[in-house]
Amino acid sequence: MWHWLRAQLSLLFRRRDLENDLQRELQSHIDLEAEQQQEGGASEDEAHYAARRAFGNAALVAEDVRESWSLAWLAHFFRDLRYGARTLRKSPGFSAVAVLTLALGIGANTAIFSAVDALMLRPLPFTSQDQLVRIYSIQSGITDTFGNPNGPSAPDVRDFAQRSQSFQNMVVYDTWRKNIRFGDSAGEPEQMRVGLVPAAYFQVLDLSPLMGRLFTADENQVGKNFVAAISSHLWKSRFAGDPSILGRQIRINGEPYTIVAVMPNLIPEWVESGRLGTVEIWTPFAFPDVWSESSRGDRGYLALGRLKPGVSLEQAQADLSVIANALAAAHPVDQGVAVSLKKLADTRVGSLRPMLFPLIGAVSLILLMACVNLANLLLARNAARQRELAVRAALGSPRGGLVRQLLVETLLLSLIGAAAGLLLAKAALASVMRLHPEDLPQLDSIAIDWRVLVFTLSVSLVTAVLFGLAPAVIATRVNLVDALKLGGRWGTVGETGQPMRNVLVVTEMAMSLMLLVAASLVVQSILRLERQNLGIRQDHLLKGHFYVPDVRYPNPASIARFCDEFANKVRALPGVIDASVTTIYPPNNGWTQMLGLPGHLVTRIQDIPAAQFGVVDAHFRATLGIPLIRGRDFTESDSASSPPVALISEEFKRRYFPAEDPVGQQIHVGPPQFLQLPPGSGVSDASDVTIVGIIGDIRNAGLALAAEPQIVVLYSQHPLVNYGFKNIVIRTALEPSSLAPAIRRQLHDLDSDMPFAEVQTMEELVEHQAAGERFAAVLLTLFAIAGLVLVVVGIYGVVSFLVVQRNQELAVRIALGASHANVLWLVLNQSLQMAAIGAIIGLLGSWAAQRLTTGLLFGISPVDPATFATGAALLLAVAAIASAIPGARVLRIDPAQTFRQD
Amino acid sequence: MTPRPAPNRRELLQGTLDMLILRTLLLGPAHGHQIAKHIQRTTEEVLQVEHGSLYPALHRMERKAWIISKWEIAQEGKREFKYYRLTKIGRKQLASEESKWKQLAKAIALVMSPASSEE
Repeated sequence: MWHWLRAQLSLLFRRRDLENDLQRELQSHIDLEAEQQQEGGASEDEAHYAARRAFGNAALVAEDVRESWSLAWLAHFFRDLRYGARTLRKSPGFSAVAVLTLALGIGANTAIFSAVDALMLRPLPFTSQDQLVRIYSIQSGITDTFGNPNGPSAPDVRDFAQRSQSFQNMVVYDTWRKNIRFGDSAGEPEQMRVGLVPAAYFQVLDLSPLMGRLFTADENQVGKNFVAAISSHLWKSRFAGDPSILGRQIRINGEPYTIVAVMPNLIPEWVESGRLGTVEIWTPFAFPDVWSESSRGDRGYLALGRLKPGVSLEQAQADLSVIANALAAAHPVDQGVAVSLKKLADTRVGSLRPMLFPLIGAVSLILLMACVNLANLLLARNAARQRELAVRAALGSPRGGLVRQLLVETLLLSLIGAAAGLLLAKAALASVMRLHPEDLPQLDSIAIDWRVLVFTLSVSLVTAVLFGLAPAVIATRVNLVDALKLGGRWGTVGETGQPMRNVLVVTEMAMSLMLLVAASLVVQSILRLERQNLGIRQDHLLKGHFYVPDVRYPNPASIARFCDEFANKVRALPGVIDASVTTIYPPNNGWTQMLGLPGHLVTRIQDIPAAQFGVVDAHFRATLGIPLIRGRDFTESDSASSPPVALISEEFKRRYFPAEDPVGQQIHVGPPQFLQLPPGSGVSDASDVTIVGIIGDIRNAGLALAAEPQIVVLYSQHPLVNYGFKNIVIRTALEPSSLAPAIRRQLHDLDSDMPFAEVQTMEELVEHQAAGERFAAVLLTLFAIAGLVLVVVGIYGVVSFLVVQRNQELAVRIALGASHANVLWLVLNQSLQMAAIGAIIGLLGSWAAQRLTTGLLFGISPVDPATFATGAALLLAVAAIASAIPGARVLRIDPAQTFRQD
Repeated sequence: MTPRPAPNRRELLQGTLDMLILRTLLLGPAHGHQIAKHIQRTTEEVLQVEHGSLYPALHRMERKAWIISKWEIAQEGKREFKYYRLTKIGRKQLASEESKWKQLAKAIALVMSPASSEE
């Protein structure tokens, strides 16, 4: 082994030495021979001549020796490469189809891989990312709209941090929508999401400011919190990278905050995507009473922790669970609340997870189909090259050499295909980014980098070897004598590989059908999702968000006054039918409110009745168009001074008043006594209301879930829950979005510092809700089309080949009286048979793969019979057309001419 | 493509030449000229090996580590020659080639003179 290695190495690095050595060796031989000849009596000249003659052609010998030096495989490879390039140039049609096929397959895979890489594989920009975990509270299994469990409360996190042994540090924080004005600019105020974080937030992530300092502990107190950190992106885009940025001010909710730090742009959007929107401004974590016992039930904060080195997620989970149990025992409000940890990196896929695996499956199918097509094309082409191959074999090319030559050609094709695929993927990604809904912030980090390039390259290499080998081996299984004797009518010798080609096309059709079925199912569910009856009149409805800051509106009465005034001004606008200020609109959920019902005595937190809670004005039902089932609607006479009233949904009645008539009943809105929660803490109300009416159910748990019980009350009658966060919904007579500027003007007339944000028509909102599914549907549809194209290419190839191959047989049939139509049917029949088999296998495949698609489907079975049948029919139709075109050539067969040719 | 002799014939010749060289080196290290002369002599000039054709074979075998080479001063003179020496792998190779060759020779002998083998 050592000798061998040394020999290889000297070949690589000591070329010149080797050459000198060889010349010297040969010369010494010739010299010695000449000497001996001279000793035998020859003259010097004669001896020299004889010696050279005995030696043979020295130059040729040296050349032969040198060939043994060269890393022979490399030299052969380059020779094959040159030869391959030439052959590919000579058949541009074949090369183009092959490259295109590969580009489709490789391009689709590159695009999806770059997404998977960005969403799951690429490391986070944080040090020791495996130590970073999110901390959630789970209350009897409820999760938020993003599939994540709910956030913990601040006192819970404080106790976790103090008592646990597993963490280096831990932080509780939040993000809020706030009204922002930069400097003294006269422009529009903007709504931005602001991070409310203590210094520990950045310390857990191990980020230090580029400039300035982190917040002090003192600044986390209300009143001392008027400092802000901004992202370097914001610093550059809004302050032109002003070097004296520290000390400048921004206005947040009307109050001036001094900038004390510029933070690096390292926190990816998705880290806070649970709350939608990039965070570029942070202010201290200053909430009144957030640390007091009364806030223990106020969940929904965000929490991050950094594990100590060597501590596993499971250990930390076990550690915190023990503490959570102790907390549940000590505090009634923590009963039934468990703690859950997730690696930060694992939370990044988020809402995209259910669609990632079907997409990976789909692109794998596409790649397989592309490969199958390639193998098919190669089989056909190699069959057509039988004579060439036979001649080369006859001239002494060993079979291994021929196989290698064919493989190198495939490799070349697949590399060109990969390059084209890369361009395709780049273009595709760019266009997806452009159309991508802002609801999928994770997509922003998708890029084609070296990891993706490595992936693409490996895919193309594997493709070439796996799918080039079999055709090459088959093609070189040549019977020399037959191939040469048969005079090169390639149609006759080209039998080679036909069964394999048929199998390949059948496989391809099966895979294409699977794609078709999947795409069609997803598209159908999107349509169903978007046509969901929300329980309201969806058309001609606009919604927007505004925040009434407590600086200028310090009490619930002033907030109520502002909202009423705003709504009245909007109602007076031409084109507006009605408007309502509300905390809720379907299909979003608001917050869950605990209730006390007559005759319901509860002692455990899990048994407390609860409903989705809406705090609205008297126009809510009329504006949204929710039917009134029984009783009466709110009226303008329901005011702060009249007895509080409430509307409940039908689901509410079904669940809590199954037998009695709820209208006229009095219920308590707020947590029961035994939880010992002070009124107004967190988001809980405390008042008795009379149910005056029952309204229809509205979707209040997202698009896909059934309606939860709903209760709505008037903000004028519930000052405890009359916060500054408000939405306005507007019923219009005109195109709704055309009214947005007028409404914004009304808002600014009342308060020029208040942004009118999140303006959307209800239809747009619903579309955005289904953004993820829509994204998957678009991609799957594209893939299904690509699959069909590949099938068409495959069938076309096989049938054209078939027609040529059976040319003589068909001519004989026609000569014997078969009509052209009969003969055409003969050809079509064969491909339809293949398509039928392909369809059956494809349907079985779809059935087997149903688990992949289920997560993406809504209101349709993954084995929907109608979809299966339509897909199969479409495949058969495509197969018929794709084979009829080349098949039509049989119509031009002229027996007389065919026979003369032979 | 340069035309080449049919692969089978070439391999046969190559193999035989390799075997002859290895057999020669079994006697001890030798340089190319010595090997050529030895083959000529021992085959009673029946095998007229073109001297040059030894070298590609020698270098190929060196690459396969069947033999190794070293420049040494010849015993009889002051001149240096490149001496080839058999390695362990080379010995093994020779053994296997020899047994193959013996089988072949025996087979051919059986065909050519069936009577003699019956004795």
